[in-house]
Amino acid sequence: MKADKEKRRMISRDAARRRRRVESEVFAELSRLLPLQQSVQDHLDKPSVIRLTLSYIRMHTLLKGITGKKAEASHAVKCEQVMESGEEWRGCDRGRDDEEKKTDDVEASEETNMFLRILEGFLIVLSTEGDMIYLSDNVSKYMGLTQTELMGHNIFEFTHPCDHEEIRNNLRLTAEEVWCGAKRDFVMRIKGALTHRGRSSNLKSATWKVLHCQGRAKVCVAPSSVSCLLLTCQPLPLSHTLLSTHTFTSQHSMDMRFTYCDQRITLLLGYSTEELLGRSIYDLCHTLDTNCLTKNHLNLCLKSQSVSGQYRMLVRGGGYVWVESHSAVIPSVRPSKSRPGAHQPLCILCVTYVLSGVEEPSLQLSLDQTVHRYLR
Amino acid sequence: MSAGGSDGTADRPADLAADGECPEQAGSSLPAAELPRKRKGDVEERSGTHGQQSVDFQMDDDLSRSEGEDQQVKMKCFREPHRQIEKRRRDKMNTLIDELAAMIPACQPMARKLDKLTVLRKAVQHLKALKVGTGSAFTDTTSKPSILSHDDLKHLLLRAVDGFLLVVSCDRAKILFISESVSKILNLSRLELTGQSLFDFIHPKDINKVKEQLSSSEYPRQCLIDAATGVQVQVDAPARPPLLSTGARRSFFCRLKHSRVVGKQDKHFLPCTSKKKDSSRYCTLHCTGYMRSCPSSQLDSECDGEMESSDLSCLVTVCRLLTPVSHQPPKELTIRPSEFVTRWAIDGKFTFVEQQATTIIGYLPQEVLGTSCYEYFHQDDLLHLADKHRQVLRSKEKIETRCYKFKTKYGSYVSLQSQWFSFTNPWTKEVEFIVSSNQVISGPGHTKDEEAGNSKALQEDTKQIPIIPGLSSGLGTMIYAGSIGTQIANELMDSYSRMNSSPSSGACSPFGPAQEKCPVVSPLTSTSASSREEASGSSSQSQCDSRTAAGASSATSESLAAVSRININPIQGETSQLDLDLVPGLSSFSSDEAAMAVIMSLLETDVNMGQSGDFEDLHWPF
Repeated sequence: MKADKEKRRMISRDAARRRRRVESEVFAELSRLLPLQQSVQDHLDKPSVIRLTLSYIRMHTLLKGITGKKAEASHAVKCEQVMESGEEWRGCDRGRDDEEKKTDDVEASEETNMFLRILEGFLIVLSTEGDMIYLSDNVSKYMGLTQTELMGHNIFEFTHPCDHEEIRNNLRLTAEEVWCGAKRDFVMRIKGALTHRGRSSNLKSATWKVLHCQGRAKVCVAPSSVSCLLLTCQPLPLSHTLLSTHTFTSQHSMDMRFTYCDQRITLLLGYSTEELLGRSIYDLCHTLDTNCLTKNHLNLCLKSQSVSGQYRMLVRGGGYVWVESHSAVIPSVRPSKSRPGAHQPLCILCVTYVLSGVEEPSLQLSLDQTVHRYLR
Repeated sequence: MSAGGSDGTADRPADLAADGECPEQAGSSLPAAELPRKRKGDVEERSGTHGQQSVDFQMDDDLSRSEGEDQQVKMKCFREPHRQIEKRRRDKMNTLIDELAAMIPACQPMARKLDKLTVLRKAVQHLKALKVGTGSAFTDTTSKPSILSHDDLKHLLLRAVDGFLLVVSCDRAKILFISESVSKILNLSRLELTGQSLFDFIHPKDINKVKEQLSSSEYPRQCLIDAATGVQVQVDAPARPPLLSTGARRSFFCRLKHSRVVGKQDKHFLPCTSKKKDSSRYCTLHCTGYMRSCPSSQLDSECDGEMESSDLSCLVTVCRLLTPVSHQPPKELTIRPSEFVTRWAIDGKFTFVEQQATTIIGYLPQEVLGTSCYEYFHQDDLLHLADKHRQVLRSKEKIETRCYKFKTKYGSYVSLQSQWFSFTNPWTKEVEFIVSSNQVISGPGHTKDEEAGNSKALQEDTKQIPIIPGLSSGLGTMIYAGSIGTQIANELMDSYSRMNSSPSSGACSPFGPAQEKCPVVSPLTSTSASSREEASGSSSQSQCDSRTAAGASSATSESLAAVSRININPIQGETSQLDLDLVPGLSSFSSDEAAMAVIMSLLETDVNMGQSGDFEDLHWPF
């Protein structure tokens, strides 16, 4: 009896083994078909192979509408040209020759690489459910995780839970928005597995990194209309940027009241630095932009960095200017390395760029602008 | 053991359902859903690379150690979580296979669900077919294989970034290189721009700004920000300014000419152009990039008469069109004439009045600013409006008033209806001001007769002093209109100071009759502002401290709880100008989180700085 049982168990084990072997072979074949370097291909585990295959197919579907058309269009033009010039038509039916294609490709790749480098960010293609269908390969520089590790995963696995609702809202695309190529602009926190020296660590010691995401919706024309979001994600560096004369810096307490302002504001907006101390920034801006400022303020409180978008600051004598602020929360005292996590008083550092000249200079909209000041 | 894949499951105990699920091969897999917080021997949260084998070992150990019934129980306890991990892994794999089947055309028409192996085989076929279709893009052996061809990536990138790459020389702002995408942004062709001076296309007022960014050697006072301390660093220009050297970062905004036809999506609320002789249209771009010195031999030959082999400094930037901010009215530029927005301090005094108000109420903003709104409210409406005033200060919602009468400059009254919304500072949680969105209610016009009638009614009414709860004492004091607002504001301030400060503050009760008739309270005076700041500063400090004591985990849950009440997203497609629903304000978040995020981001800035200089291997496309 027992021998029978044993025998049956052995048979089933063998069958299972065979099944697994076949399956592994198919997985291996699939991974070899993926356009990745061999060293990467060999080390992919099964879920990753499927993830990457999915990404590849999805990207292909997404781009099919465009590249197909483009290739046809340029091919058609070339053929026309050849016809007109009366030259012999040599093998135009196969498309442009490989040499040309190669040069174009090399140029495109250099330009794209440079673009991404100067932009200091990476590209991400998100489905409406949040799947990271594609990421440009420089993502490893910012997140410490490689393209192949991330592609196919869902962005919600890597972002701060408190930002999920905002991300979800941004992913929501109505049909109209997609066709108009609606734009998106928001800040989110993502896991970064980089040490402060810039080396990759692993996900265990991941820290939150603040990224500014900007981009637009895209739809592919092909059979199954898939809509997704194309975003560039950039960290927000504040350090060592040359500030022009049309820029001023200011420091605020966490409730956005001025604690310091550099003198350039006097030239730009007419306020003396002393009179600003203790004033709230909300008082100095156009009421219709309150929402913009509030969103900025909330981003700062929650995420520690923010880009404000354009809003209007009132000029002392009348009228207003359009400005944009890039801000961050910093400790008001230099953090000591010995007690990094200790509770420290914080303040907000803003760099404000003035975008326009003074508009409607004769318009006095707020109390501060009137000649006879009510206050004091 | 058989060949082909790690087959460690052969030894697995029979009661673990084995449908051929292999343990994952060691590799770059990241089941990121399980945030690792690993401890040795913790079966629950393993990332799975060597999970199988070690669990087996542990179970063996356990078996040998315990005895009797304990043994059975212990094994069960051990296997339960393990079973769950297994199940999760299987479910994940099944989900992935299903998704794959959905993407492959060959798998779709099937009525019943296909098994895993078939789906995988079809996937292989599909990929092979795709490769044939795309032709030489992937057979190019010189370039690195990648999921997207460079062309495709370029296309996607340009779609995401409304921008172009620009390289200008520093001495004369000559455009050395500009990418093709500029034609989409400025509607000027790449050819007409290359070789031109950038200054020809910049808004005249921005020329100095750009000049400064290009050649900082002429401007001795260079201001940098040291992000670690927020201090501005003044750098006097040394002989070879470091800012001009490779790697120095630039970021600025400028307006460039464009000849785009204004389309539907172009109605931005962006800086308008000067409506003078120069009728060019300008668009605002954000330019970020780096200084770079490049050997002039790579540039075109126009200038090789002057420069020989000296290095030329140039600025390489990405110029990006500004995103029109979505909460500003993109569709209707014209503001409806019968609406205007005002802002008042919490005591009802106007601090901001939109210019449209003048057409409706007759007063210029400066005539009204600083005066209390109660001076303009009709007596009949005082009660109702005071009540709403009190309500709005305590509520996070938009409060709608009934139709009421507002006195215009000419003595007549106009019927308005307003939505009031109190703005709360996200950090201090105190009300800073009230925003009022006012609409004219058109009804029977205010004829002269009616006005006469109204003023008569007014005279009669003045005999009767309206009783406003909480304000009038029974002493029959005359209520001045302005004091109503002040009183209501005082109530609020008192309630704040009671909440925040220690019992020794001596706050009076909110509904007591005013000891002083018209206390001069303006929350905007600098003295009270600073004392309020101190109070709120210390209060937020004490709040922070108490939260710190509560511990990090509760802080996280607090902020998680707050998520449901926050709606930061402005994309709601509202047509109303001022979207008052937008930000109700936070109820709680942890300042500890903010502190931690800041520390971390500071550590990041070191990384960013280190990355600025590695352009040596860039091959220039021209």
